[in-house]
Amino acid sequence: MKKPPHPYTWWIWSLAIAISVVRFNNPYCAIAAIALVGFVVMSQREDAPWGKSFNWTLKIAIWILTVRTLIGVTIGVPIPGTTIFTLPRMPLPDWMPGIRVGGAVTAERLASALSEGLIICAIIVIFGAASSLTSPHRLLRVLPVHIYEFATAVVIATSVLPQLVTSVARIRQAQRLRGQSTKGISSYRRLAIPLLEESLARSLDLAAAMDARGYGVSRKRSRYRPINWQLRDTAIAASGLLILALS
Amino acid sequence: MISFSNVSLVYPNSTTTVLENLSLEIAEGELVLVIGPTGSGKSSLLRLINGLVPHHTGGILAGEIRVDGLSTREVKPGGLAHLIGIVGQNPLNGFVADRVEEELAFAMEALNLAPDVMRRRVEEVLDLLSLAPLRSRIIATLSGGEQQRVAIASALVMHPKVLVLDEPTSALDPIAAEEVLSILHRLVHDLGLTVVIAEHKLERVIGFADRIIHINGDGKTIIGNATEVMKISEIAPPIVHLSRALGLQEVGLSVRDMRRMVQEMHLPNPPDLKISLPPHEKPAIDIKNLTLSYVGHVALDSLSTSIYDNEIVAVMGRNGAGKSSLLRSIAGVSKIDKGEVTVYDTDPITLAGKFRRELIGYIPQEPSDLLYGQSVMQECEQADKDNQVMAGTTFEVLNQLVVGINPQAHPRDLSEGQRLALALSLVLSANPQVLILDEPTRGLDYEAKKSLTRILIEFAKVFKRLVVLATHDVELVAELATRVIFIADGDIVADGPTIDVLLSSPAFAPQVSKVMSPRPWLTVGDVVAALEGDSA
Repeated sequence: MKKPPHPYTWWIWSLAIAISVVRFNNPYCAIAAIALVGFVVMSQREDAPWGKSFNWTLKIAIWILTVRTLIGVTIGVPIPGTTIFTLPRMPLPDWMPGIRVGGAVTAERLASALSEGLIICAIIVIFGAASSLTSPHRLLRVLPVHIYEFATAVVIATSVLPQLVTSVARIRQAQRLRGQSTKGISSYRRLAIPLLEESLARSLDLAAAMDARGYGVSRKRSRYRPINWQLRDTAIAASGLLILALS
Repeated sequence: MISFSNVSLVYPNSTTTVLENLSLEIAEGELVLVIGPTGSGKSSLLRLINGLVPHHTGGILAGEIRVDGLSTREVKPGGLAHLIGIVGQNPLNGFVADRVEEELAFAMEALNLAPDVMRRRVEEVLDLLSLAPLRSRIIATLSGGEQQRVAIASALVMHPKVLVLDEPTSALDPIAAEEVLSILHRLVHDLGLTVVIAEHKLERVIGFADRIIHINGDGKTIIGNATEVMKISEIAPPIVHLSRALGLQEVGLSVRDMRRMVQEMHLPNPPDLKISLPPHEKPAIDIKNLTLSYVGHVALDSLSTSIYDNEIVAVMGRNGAGKSSLLRSIAGVSKIDKGEVTVYDTDPITLAGKFRRELIGYIPQEPSDLLYGQSVMQECEQADKDNQVMAGTTFEVLNQLVVGINPQAHPRDLSEGQRLALALSLVLSANPQVLILDEPTRGLDYEAKKSLTRILIEFAKVFKRLVVLATHDVELVAELATRVIFIADGDIVADGPTIDVLLSSPAFAPQVSKVMSPRPWLTVGDVVAALEGDSA
């Protein structure tokens, strides 16, 4: 069995990439970053429940990009330039000058909406990649005990995503069996309620279990099998920091 | 070891008291069983012992609970971690690490034990629960029985003085349950461990219990040794009902005691009955060479069978034998690799919407997956609308299943049995041709199980429909099924009338048949009917 890298490693790397994307502020860099983390996730992730969160963040990102671009081109301050097509314009009262709904859609406007959306998507996807590459439970074991309340919250938060992914699949399947369509907006509403309840209940269970097992009782924590920082971890973290330095 | 003095418990936003003025003492090395109907507060009682209630749940606690001299008022659950090991109802939700070894070490790491002590204890407990081959596996990929053993191991590794288990065998097959219980029995006897168990399937645990705490749900409790409580308790395993039906003075709690008592009674030996399944012309469900595998693991291996109208088929087998996979293929949710499944000449995977509801009703392992409404009423109205039946039909079905469900209640706040009934009534309101249930008795008490049995038999007989269910519950199968399909390693190893299959395997035989062997009686009802027939 290959030993996975230190739990901090991919989070440091991802954080560095995410900051670089913001600093470059360039849609091509955002696309490159998504491609890069996608490649890393595909080649490095373990076959475990948390490994699947990446696919879902990818889906969420695409959804956000679409919605944001649509709103971006139809509502807001117009940018002059080459007109691609013109939408009927909705009249607005005089006290809202400069804002318009509909009207000419210019190539410049589309480009700016797309590039802003892409950067947001890149950040979401990078977060998904980090949580896909690192087991939340391993992360918990290396976090210092001094911040244990905070650490508990972090672990519960990061373990919710992979749990959501498995729950979504199960609940959708059950609802398809009740003969309900799993497409369309109302299906998401049906999904959201059991999903939220389940993830809340699970998080509470996890918190109770950690408490019952004495987590945070001792200010010092021993290691059954040490998780060491290795050369490989330095290399991965350094590559991320290098990209950050270039930006 | 554990003492409750005048303990009362009220949850926030609730008007009923869960426990009222409960006082009891549990001595070292005792195995105590907590019984009671669903929703009566068994889990609350267990979680009071290490202070998870009320530290984690809120609520008002009066009185005092002391464990080994420590009061849960003053010490938080974490401070009792070295003293009390607790295993929750659903162990998967309580795992805090990914791999078996890491899970076992977690609590010891948190208490800062030295690495060499940890190593020794992990090895010890791996051997004790025969987990050594699984030590580096990811927990999420283990079967239910294996997960249960890991959860118990991670509690035992702390060398606690008290072990608290909430329904430890509900997800296990009879053999795995027997294994877990005999380990506990050994620990109680060898190490003087104090064990508190809550369990619905009394037939599995009753033989091990020293004392029983019977919670009624209205705040009243009865405490006494096992035989005393069983004499008066409504909640009792089949073996106790048998001694009542036979009019015995004493109640026997083990098969051995009961056999001894019964042998003095000179019961008639009925002639060997040959029950064979009635011949059928056309199968309702036809399965040919069904093969199904998950990542690198074969779940079903070229399985073929036919199921006919009017049948109630129980699919049994060890944890992870492929029962759920078979049910899911019949329901048409799992894509199959090879082979063919047809339900009334249709491929179930192509079904959708109304056609699906009217052909196949499916209750998954987690019935709440089917529920998404904000109240019971809302769920029922949605089902009425979906199935184009008269308003109120679904609610009426629900009322036939269980009485007294508050229509405004949120599905989440219902008890396990009520939630199953709700899911079942939603499915039944479409009047499906085939009803499929995956492990329906998990968390159900005897009362709820009885009404489930009644409904399913009625459904199959009156409407001439067929029911397929996967279950570990031997007693349920004995009461309910007309035919048993036994699966091992993804293939059928036994298939025939219930009585033949259950009697041929000692591990899967129900209690009554063990007592009455070699007479072919499976349930208390069978015995009573046979005796009446004899005297008439």
